[in-house]
Amino acid sequence: MVDQISKRYRIGRGLTNLRELFVLRKESSPQQHHWAVRDVSFNLEPGESMAIIGPNGAGKTTILKLLSQVTQPTSGEIRLKGRFSALIELGAGFHPDLTGRENIFLNGAILGMHRDEIKARFDAIVAFAGIDEYLDTPVKRYSSGMFARLGFAIAAHVDPQILLVDEVLAVGDYAFQMKCYARMDELRAKGTSLIFVSHNLESVRRVCKRGLVMYRGEAIFQGTAAEAITAYSDALRRKARESQVSVPLEEGLSQRVMTFDAEVESVSLLDAESRPVTVLQSGAAALVVMQVCFNKDVHEPIFAFTIRTPEGNLVYNITTNWMGIQTPDFYAGERCRVEFKIALPLLEGYYDLGVDVTPRDLTHFYDRLESAMGFSIISTNGAKGLVDLGAEVAFKKIHSLNSA
Amino acid sequence: MLTRNFGALFVRRDLLMAWTMRTIRGRYQQSILGGLWAIAQPAATAIIFSIIFTYFVPVNTGGVPYVVFSFVAMVPWTLHASSIADMVESIVGNMNLVTKIYFPREVLPVSALFARAFDFLVAFAIIVPLIAYYRMHIAISGWLILPAVLLTQMALALGVGLIGAALNVFYRDIRPIFTLGLQLWFYASPVIYPVSSVPDRLRPFYLLNPMVGVVEAYRAVLLYQSVPSPDIFYSAGAAIVILVFGYWFFKRVEFQFADIV
Repeated sequence: MVDQISKRYRIGRGLTNLRELFVLRKESSPQQHHWAVRDVSFNLEPGESMAIIGPNGAGKTTILKLLSQVTQPTSGEIRLKGRFSALIELGAGFHPDLTGRENIFLNGAILGMHRDEIKARFDAIVAFAGIDEYLDTPVKRYSSGMFARLGFAIAAHVDPQILLVDEVLAVGDYAFQMKCYARMDELRAKGTSLIFVSHNLESVRRVCKRGLVMYRGEAIFQGTAAEAITAYSDALRRKARESQVSVPLEEGLSQRVMTFDAEVESVSLLDAESRPVTVLQSGAAALVVMQVCFNKDVHEPIFAFTIRTPEGNLVYNITTNWMGIQTPDFYAGERCRVEFKIALPLLEGYYDLGVDVTPRDLTHFYDRLESAMGFSIISTNGAKGLVDLGAEVAFKKIHSLNSA
Repeated sequence: MLTRNFGALFVRRDLLMAWTMRTIRGRYQQSILGGLWAIAQPAATAIIFSIIFTYFVPVNTGGVPYVVFSFVAMVPWTLHASSIADMVESIVGNMNLVTKIYFPREVLPVSALFARAFDFLVAFAIIVPLIAYYRMHIAISGWLILPAVLLTQMALALGVGLIGAALNVFYRDIRPIFTLGLQLWFYASPVIYPVSSVPDRLRPFYLLNPMVGVVEAYRAVLLYQSVPSPDIFYSAGAAIVILVFGYWFFKRVEFQFADIV
């Protein structure tokens, strides 16, 4: 039923910003063009799942629209084999005055199902959405949660060869989201290809194997989902640096002035074999390396690094000061490589690594990188949380006094 | 190219039916009169014009009471005008859908037309007892001709509607232009007056209007028990040409719809 799905395309898309109602001159000047998506290519096989992530305005939704044929590429081609279903809007075409039952048939038809298909899957759809008692009430009486559940239930049963999902899982409680993930897994197992656009990096990690990172209309990275997430936050970091977003500091260092007497040239994470990595196993030993160059003479600076979760929660912060280490003096023109040896008993997730260099009196920074790089931890442990506490379990039966 | 597109539309006929039902239900679900609106609109207009043209400005209706004379033409005209008005708005009014999901876009105007055709059938159900009340009758052959006339009318409206729907997406002035155009078209068609009222000098230009043949055909069959005038063939030909052009034009620009926000 499903042939090999192969999609290879190069796209450039121009969206004109200005449109004049009475168009007399046909040419539009170059600066009126905006390339929403530029020169993107990828290939997806049956059963593969790929996430498209990126900051707002990077072109993710445009790609979905191009794939679902809502709009046409300015150049390049798209080849899709098989029926596809796009979950870009839940409850598309729902008429508020019609009942749930009627809207199932309507929405199903819009999504491409034939009437008999809808009839056959009707019960499954209703069960998935959990709206049994409300089938014959007009949908305008539905809560927003019911609305979304019904919308997803219909779309999830279209049984497409290619499924496009655009950030629609934010609605619904935890139980429902689990149902959605389970359904997507089912479809994947059946050989459906899945393209998932989301800002929720956790769900991206859970659902997809591959990732494509979009930034300003270009595909800046393609690889595994974990690597893509890292590349994504690198892109965000770049964006933040460009706009100089200020962030509140922890107490002690109130000045945000950076004098750059010492400048951080690079930051990297090395594994046990001294290879730079961005993905590590839980519990692995690693080396945090920062390379610093000194523009002025500096007396016993303090080096520090910080590990945070993406939400900003502090995982670990250590400075040479707290370690009780006296650092040497450095002179202008010198460069130094600072290595922190650490173990990473962290659980699966994505983490931000930041570094800074300060003078002994902590009055200001020489240089500070709030988030110099990101890294992901993979663990096979089923545990949840931040740190792997290495639980082991033993069972000891307790005998009562009477049995002898 | 047109056959391929028509094939694509045919595959989605379930959607077409579903959307038509949605439009009809949505229109009548929450109204007091419900389906009676389909009758009230042409009836009210017919009554007003009856007063004018019976007492103020008498008009030769070929021996038939003016009320019947105008109502019989008013019902098809209501289909024509309201369906075109709906079709012109059909894409623009559903932009939230058009920008999110793909389906053959002509489903929207065609559903609008079918939904109005439903109104037509309801109103038409009144014509039969009305004619009986005035002690006239309809020839058997008439019943065979009527569907053909209806089809001609719908084809013409669809052609115009497709062009209007597509243009409206790009230039929002189209809607008031069409409103005005439909008003003028109404007066340029023999709905409230017979063709015989038109001076011979102007007759050739007058007959360029494809709706002339249609309206006259309805009257011929329903009121005068005669065969429609040859004008109906011109109307049918014009309808086909306009429909083919309209569909071609619509499909040409269809893919740009989603880009116009």
